[in-house]
This record gives sequence, C-alpha cells and structure tokens, in this order.
Amino acid sequence: MTAIGKVVATELKPATPHQFHFWTATDTSVGIGAIVKVAEGGTGGTGDGGRVVYGVVTEGFAYSDLATPLHDVVGAEGDPTRADEAPTARQQIRYWTAAVLRQTPEEPLQPVPLGQVYVADDADVAQALRMDTFLFSATPTAIPVGLYTSAGRDSPVYLDADFLLGPEAAHLNISGVSGLATKTSAVEFLLASIFAHFPAHKGRVAAVCFNVKGPDLCFLDQPGDLSDEDRRRYERLEVPSEPFQRVRLYAPLKADGVNLNTLRTHPDLVGDVEPLTWGLQEVVDYAEVLLNRDDIDAKADAFIDFLRDRVLGRTFDDGFGTTHRVQTFADLDRFFRAVFDGLEITAGGRSDTWRTHHIATMRKVRNRLLNISTRCKGLVTDDGPSSDLPWNGFEDRTVYVIDIANVDPLGQDLVFARVVSRLREQLERRELGVDAVIVFVDELNKYAPGDGPETYVKKMLLDISERGRYLGLVLFGAEQFRSQVHRRVVGNAGTQVFGRMDMDELATPGYQVLTPATKSKLATLPIGELMIRHPHFTQPIFVRFPKPPVLRGRDGVERFPPAADVPFEDAVVRQLVRLDRRVRPNQVKDLIADREQDDVRRALAAVRRTRPDDVLAYFRKVLGARVEPEALLREHHAVPPLNPISDEPY
Amino acid sequence: MKLAHLADLHLGFRQFDRQTPKGANQREVDVAEVCKRAVDDMLEQKPELIVVAGDLFHSVRPTNAAILYCFRQLHRLRTGLPGTPIVVIAGEHDTPRSTETGSILRLYEALGVEIAVEEARRIVFPTLDCAVLAVPQQALAKADRPALRPEAGRPTLNVLVTHGVYGGLGEERGTVEYGGAELSRELLAPEKWDYIALGHYHTAQSVATNAWYSGSLEYLPPNPWGQLQDEAAQRTTAKGKKDRTGKGYLLVDLPGARVTFRAIAPARRHIDLQPVQAAGLNAKELDAQIAERVSAAKIDDQIVRLLVWDVERAVARDLDHAAIRGYKARALNFQLDLRRPEARRALGTSAGPGSRRQTLTETVRDFLGRRPLDAELNRETFVNLGVEYLETAARAEGEPG
Repeated sequence: MTAIGKVVATELKPATPHQFHFWTATDTSVGIGAIVKVAEGGTGGTGDGGRVVYGVVTEGFAYSDLATPLHDVVGAEGDPTRADEAPTARQQIRYWTAAVLRQTPEEPLQPVPLGQVYVADDADVAQALRMDTFLFSATPTAIPVGLYTSAGRDSPVYLDADFLLGPEAAHLNISGVSGLATKTSAVEFLLASIFAHFPAHKGRVAAVCFNVKGPDLCFLDQPGDLSDEDRRRYERLEVPSEPFQRVRLYAPLKADGVNLNTLRTHPDLVGDVEPLTWGLQEVVDYAEVLLNRDDIDAKADAFIDFLRDRVLGRTFDDGFGTTHRVQTFADLDRFFRAVFDGLEITAGGRSDTWRTHHIATMRKVRNRLLNISTRCKGLVTDDGPSSDLPWNGFEDRTVYVIDIANVDPLGQDLVFARVVSRLREQLERRELGVDAVIVFVDELNKYAPGDGPETYVKKMLLDISERGRYLGLVLFGAEQFRSQVHRRVVGNAGTQVFGRMDMDELATPGYQVLTPATKSKLATLPIGELMIRHPHFTQPIFVRFPKPPVLRGRDGVERFPPAADVPFEDAVVRQLVRLDRRVRPNQVKDLIADREQDDVRRALAAVRRTRPDDVLAYFRKVLGARVEPEALLREHHAVPPLNPISDEPY
Repeated sequence: MKLAHLADLHLGFRQFDRQTPKGANQREVDVAEVCKRAVDDMLEQKPELIVVAGDLFHSVRPTNAAILYCFRQLHRLRTGLPGTPIVVIAGEHDTPRSTETGSILRLYEALGVEIAVEEARRIVFPTLDCAVLAVPQQALAKADRPALRPEAGRPTLNVLVTHGVYGGLGEERGTVEYGGAELSRELLAPEKWDYIALGHYHTAQSVATNAWYSGSLEYLPPNPWGQLQDEAAQRTTAKGKKDRTGKGYLLVDLPGARVTFRAIAPARRHIDLQPVQAAGLNAKELDAQIAERVSAAKIDDQIVRLLVWDVERAVARDLDHAAIRGYKARALNFQLDLRRPEARRALGTSAGPGSRRQTLTETVRDFLGRRPLDAELNRETFVNLGVEYLETAARAEGEPG
C-alpha cells in the first residue's frame, strides 16, 4: 500500500484525538468524504508497529508561500495575462483536515500520531465505520446501504439491522430537496436491500408505504431501466437487481364505489389493486383524527365515548320511541335525526340536552363524522362492510402500498392514523404475521411539523418514534426540510440520510456540526449519492446507491397509462373476474341489471371479504334472487258462501 | 291505505294442565280468544290489507280445533272485509321441516288468503296500487335467498312481510326465540320500503320508523315475564307511549307508515308479584311475606309468578306448602320461583400473606352462623351454644390430667 500523505501538526493546528491534518501531493485522489488511514510506524500502512487511526476528510485547503495577494499582483505587474510567466513556480500544498472515525487500539485515547496517510481499502472501510462488529459476527446483521466511492475506492457500506430496525435503535429519516427522486429512490433501494439481507434470526419483515403523491410508489412490482453501472453496483452490494416480488397495492374507490382511485388503472395492472374501504366502526375508533384542535373538548370526547360504548353495534332506545342498531353511517344519520327530531318535536324544543349531552356538541360530532363519509366517499362507505388490509396475515418481505394520493387530506390523515394504529396494536399482540414493519411516510413536514397544532397524527408519529423500536414498528420518514419536522421525530431516528440539500436549510442550526466543505458537498450532491449518519459511524459518510430496480412512478404512468373510468357494470365485472377468471361478463351483467347500485356494491364487498371458491355463485347469493311479481289469477272478491262450521271448535 | 299487521298468533299453543269444561287446554283457548278479539277489532277498523308475518300456528301440525278455529276467523275476515286481501307467511313454527310434510296454511287459499310457505312471493294488488313481497322464514334460510327489495317502477306502495330476528333484539331478557333467520338493516333496507311487517319477536317494537314487529297477541314463550319487563322498559324510555302497553296488532297508514298500536284485551293477565328478599327470614316469616304478596293481587284464574330471592334449602323445605297449594288452585298457574342464595366463598380460610388466620372459635362461629337451620331454632342461641361446647372441650383438653 502506498502512502498518499503525511500527518502534520503545528502548535497552531495540532493533531488531537478526534481531528488531524495531513498533506498530500497536488495530484491526489483524496477529496471531501474520503476515508483515510494513518499508520504509526510499520510499513505499508499495516500499523504493525503501533496505533492505526481512521479518519474521514472533512475540509481541504490549498495554498502557496505567497505572503499576500498583493505580492502576486506586483509580480505580474498587474497584468493577469502575465501571471503565469513567473520564472519560478511557487511551492503549493494540498492540506486536508480529517475527523477521526476510529482508533485502534481505542484505549488509551491519544492524539493522532504523525504517521503516513493511506487511502482506506474495503477492510479499512469496514474497520473505520465499525462495521466489523456486525458484518463478521456469528449472527451478522449487516444491511448494505450503498458504496463508498471516494478516493477511487468502491467499498460496500453496511448499516446494522439492530440499529436500523430495532431493538437497539430504529427508524430512518431522509432529507433532501424535492424533484431529484433521491428520497423515494433511496428508500426503495434500501427496502430491496433489507428484504435481501434481513437476517433470518431476526424473523419476518414487511413494509407499508403510503403513496401520497401521484404515481410514486404505484409500480414497485414492475422492472425499471438500469444502467450497467447500476447492475455492477447491485452485484457489488449483493442485492438482486429485480423489482419487489411481493407487492400488495391498496387504493380507495372513487365516489362511484367501483372504480379505483389510483393511477394504476391500466387494464394489465389494475387487477392487482385491492380496494380499501372502511365503514363506520373503523372510522369512529379514530374519530379524534376528524376533530381539529378547536373541536377537541371534554364534551365532544364524552359524547364520542358514549356513541362507542352505548350506541354503535348495540340495540339502543333513543328515548323518543325508536330503537336503533347503528352499524353504518346511514344508521348513524338516522339516529341523529331521530334524536334531534325528538328534542325538537317530542320534547317541544324545551330541552337542549339529551342524556346530559348538549345538542350543539351532538351536532358538532354528527357533522364531523358524517362529513367524512361525504368528503371521502369511496374510502368511507356509507352503508356497507369494509375491505381492509390483512391485519392477521402480513407476509414476509412484502411491500404493502396504500395509495392515498387522490384522497382528501382529512381522509389521508384518517388512513394514516388507522393503519399505523392497527399495525401497532397487532405488533403488540404479535398477531400481525411479521416481526417488524417498516412504515414509509413521505412529507413528514406535513404530518409531524415542528410547529403548528397538536394533531392526532403527529402524536402518533411521536409515539412510534419513541416506542416503535420495542414493537418492531419502524418509521422511515422523508421530508424536504428536516429543520421543520418535529425534533423528537427526527431525533429518534437512529439513521439519518441526507440527499442534496438547500443552502438555506443547511444554514439552520441543525447542520452546525458539519464543516463548510461538507455543507458545500451536500448542496451539490449528485443524484444517487447520499450522506449517512448511523450510530456505528462517528462521522457522516458519503455513499452512492444504485437506481432502484423498479419502475419510477412517472415512467410507470407512461408505460402503463391509466385507463379511463369504466361504466358501473364493467367495473363490477372487472372486480369479479379478478377474483375468479371463470366469471363470464354477460352473466354478471344480467345478474346486476335493474339492481340498485348500493346493493351491488354491498354484494361485491362481501365477495371481496369472503373470497369464496365460486365467486359468481356467492355474488348471486349475497345479491339475492329476484322475485318476479305475480299476476293474480283471481280478484279479491267476497268469499262464496261456505257451509258454516257447525260448532265452535273450543 | 290502512294496513293491519299481525304476527305470532301461535294458534294451537298449549300450556299448563288446565282444561276448559269442553276439555280443551285453557291456554289454547286463551290464544284463540285473543285471535277472535283481534279479528273483531279489524272488522271494526276495516283495514284495506291484512298481513300476518309468520307463526299463525304454533306448530306444523296444529290441533284440529286450531285449524278449524283459524278457518272460522279467516272466513269472518274474508266475508266481513271482502275487498281486503290477506297475506300470510309461514314462520319458523309453522314451516314444515321437509317438503313432503306439506303445510296446513295452504288450506286457507280456499278462502282467498295469499299464502307463502317456502318461496317468496311478490303479490301485486292493482286496486290498492300496492305490492307485497311475502318472504317466509324458509325462503330466508335458503341458499338462494331472495333480494328483499321492491321492484323498480312498480306499484306506488311496497310492503315487505317477513319473519326473523333483527340484530340483538330481545337478547337482554331472553325474549326472542333462538333459531330465527337473521335480519339486518342491510338486508331489509327500510329506506326502500313503505312499510316492513316483521314477525318473530313477541313484543311490539320498531327497528326503523317504517319497520315494526307487531308482537304476539298473547304472552307466550320465550320468557313472557321478560316481555312484561321489555314493555315496562319501553314505557320508561318512551314517555307518552302508553298506548303500546300489552299485546295487540298494528294499524299502519300508508304512505308515511304512521303506526297505531291496537291493544287487544288479554284473556287473562300475567301477574308478576313484587319479588321477596328472603335473606335472613325463617320459613314462617317468608310464609307471611308470600301471603301478603298474594293477598295484594287478584290472582284467581290468572297466571302468576312470585320470585323469592336467597331462600335457603331448609327454609324452602319448611314453607307452608298447604297454603302454596291453595294459591296454585286459585290461579290458572302460580309459579313460586324460589332462588337459592349464591354460593359464598368462606372468607379467611385461604388467607393471603399478611392476613390473620381465624381462630378455631371464629371459624366455628362463622360456620354456624351460615349453616342452614330449622325454622323454629333461634340462630343466635344456636351459635352461642355451639361456641360454648367448643370452649368447654378446649378447656377440658388444656387441663393437666
């Protein structure tokens, strides 16, 4: 191994246990982010003779023996064209500052020796980043995150699964300017890497991704175009360059109740999309999501609790002569109307309270609850059963994508709150089917902002950040401006990833620990390169990752253009055919002709929920047989006189 | 249009070992009598359509007397209200278990009554501008259950008649019979109908503003006492609904489904006497309380229940059974419902850490204080005597011999 530099220390700039300076030749491969090794004594950088120190270059300087810039001006007689005609070239220096990554031996901790500097090779990178502890252990937990490519090297960098997915630490936060596809691509690649390398002894893992923008995550099961360089990187990282093998995509329905509200509606692909529809019970459990800060008060809470405990799913007498069994939004609407009518008509408008609840509180709760069924029609079914994620049967190494890009923001909050809450509940009971779930949430700026109101979603994200790692619930969050995300959400992320950053963002206090050179590099980071902070790494490390092996959203929409909404009958046929290829479209159309769409939707939902062997027969059964009207053969005339029965029978 | 909605007549129902002078079971005659009273009332009210929502008979093979009686009453209706169609569906009581058994209900087709036993029928009455979808219990249980929906664009008024159990109705007091077809709001879709006439639940009850159980005409099993409590609960929650007290049928004005409960005077009353709390009472004291309760009510020829809580076995044995037999002779049925005290766990025998173990004297005192005792014995004297014996024995053992 050839030395590329030498550590220098002066009284003004001494070497310390955590920082040192070295010079290199003018022409060197070293740059900001490069990992170098300082070996004390010995030869060839082996460090046999003593201490070995690994460092990462954080700052670079070049200067000459010029006393002042004025000397150079005078030397060139003020003419820039003559500046290069100096009889002798001035002596130059390439002078670098490096932050210590690791010293061996670690004790006693001493200043960096003034030894020779070498470029780190693969083994050195592993040592420097303390990856040897989890890479070469009996139960390795290494997850490739990218390639360290500085100084002409090409060394894999690994994250420790115990610190990425729990239980030691967990969560990942990724920041970067939008539009470079860095954040989404990085998460997609990392998921592929986790699925390929998640150690068997840690159990089963799945991912739940919320697609909140356009078609971003709609084509994770379709192959994308990869360059040869990308393929080489996949090989180097030992991650298959294939799209995800198991993807389950869920999308709510449109307001018509049969067409899917997603951009993945191309006829070749739409069959794989599961509808996501919820009923009253699913919504009321998360009613707090629907109430804004002004609404949340003890009275509204008490009334919602009353509804949950005493009314929903039970036989309930409203006190005005009507018995209710509220199971759907339609039932709930009828219930409220009966109570309001009761107060106004039966009680003559003399009372404005019912069962200790004020009519204004009831009206507010009613409006919020019923509003969601209007604003999110298609996600929330007015009167029908729900179609949900498989809460007891999550599959190993499967991505569950929930497409809520076109859902009302309130509906997005509801979906997010309920899905994450259910994941947490199921993981607590160990009934989810997997041991760890990665939840990918983009736009954390929106869901967990540093300022703004305390929303239910924010509280839940904080809860995941702080308690999730014990349960196996891992948050992969992405945002444009890290400084605007709640400190506890960001701070609890064990692994921090940075893509290209905005200079304004880099000027915020959260980035003060970075050197000006590192900040400059972050501000100009190319696509495919990231800076990573991980509990094992004492300094941020720059890595390159290959383009994800899946079709990007924009490309997917071009290759598989979304189909226009189909008529109701065709949409029903399509959904049934997807469940059972034997279903004949004409049979279905005959069956549903003249039927009410609500009834058809309900039957369809029942089929989706039950997944019977004979789909058409079950659909027909739920829909019910048609009863033809009878033409009465006889008119209802008086009964012809019959002989009276002679005696009273009793 | 005025519609009469009846259900759960249970003609042929027999109960208690009491006969009429003609040898018929008294309760069977009672059930027939209220049926006749309902027919009398309908002949006065002159509904334009009559629906019977199942369980016209109590069994698939009712008594001959019940068949004849029903024939007479339907004949009265058909001749008295010649323009009024009658639609009858079979409930779970009068549905044959196998097809070859056949149904006695078909007999009444001879009177022009529209009968639905196995299959659902949609019967259109052009003169009333009304269609009735008659769905017997059997049709609901079939694999190809009919769609309970009106025909689009057909007559103005649409009425559904069916028989089954809606949601958790009657579960609280066990007043709904097990085994009925399951009904739900999704299945019925009340908003699509002008009126839904339901049968199976024996207390008049709405499940939607236009969907009602008419209830039975008599207090019949299951748990008639619970039905009385159901009615009382309705009265307490629904102020001003006293017109729904007792049993009867419903008169419904259509369109608009304005429901009027037509109470039918019962053949005899069900009297649930005020319960007695017998804890701490000896047999004589309890006899006195029972006599007091009975004397406060006119129990002769009525169906009576007296619930007595916490009666020790020994106390029950020593009651004045001659007097009780007298009450039973006076009433059509007198049910003295004696409930044993709930088993109590002996305290102090499984003392946890830190608790004090009972002394032998305390254990004996506790046991004798709870032990069943002959009525004439004074418990306090009895307990003191037992403790005295024990202490005497202890002293004798402790003295140096």
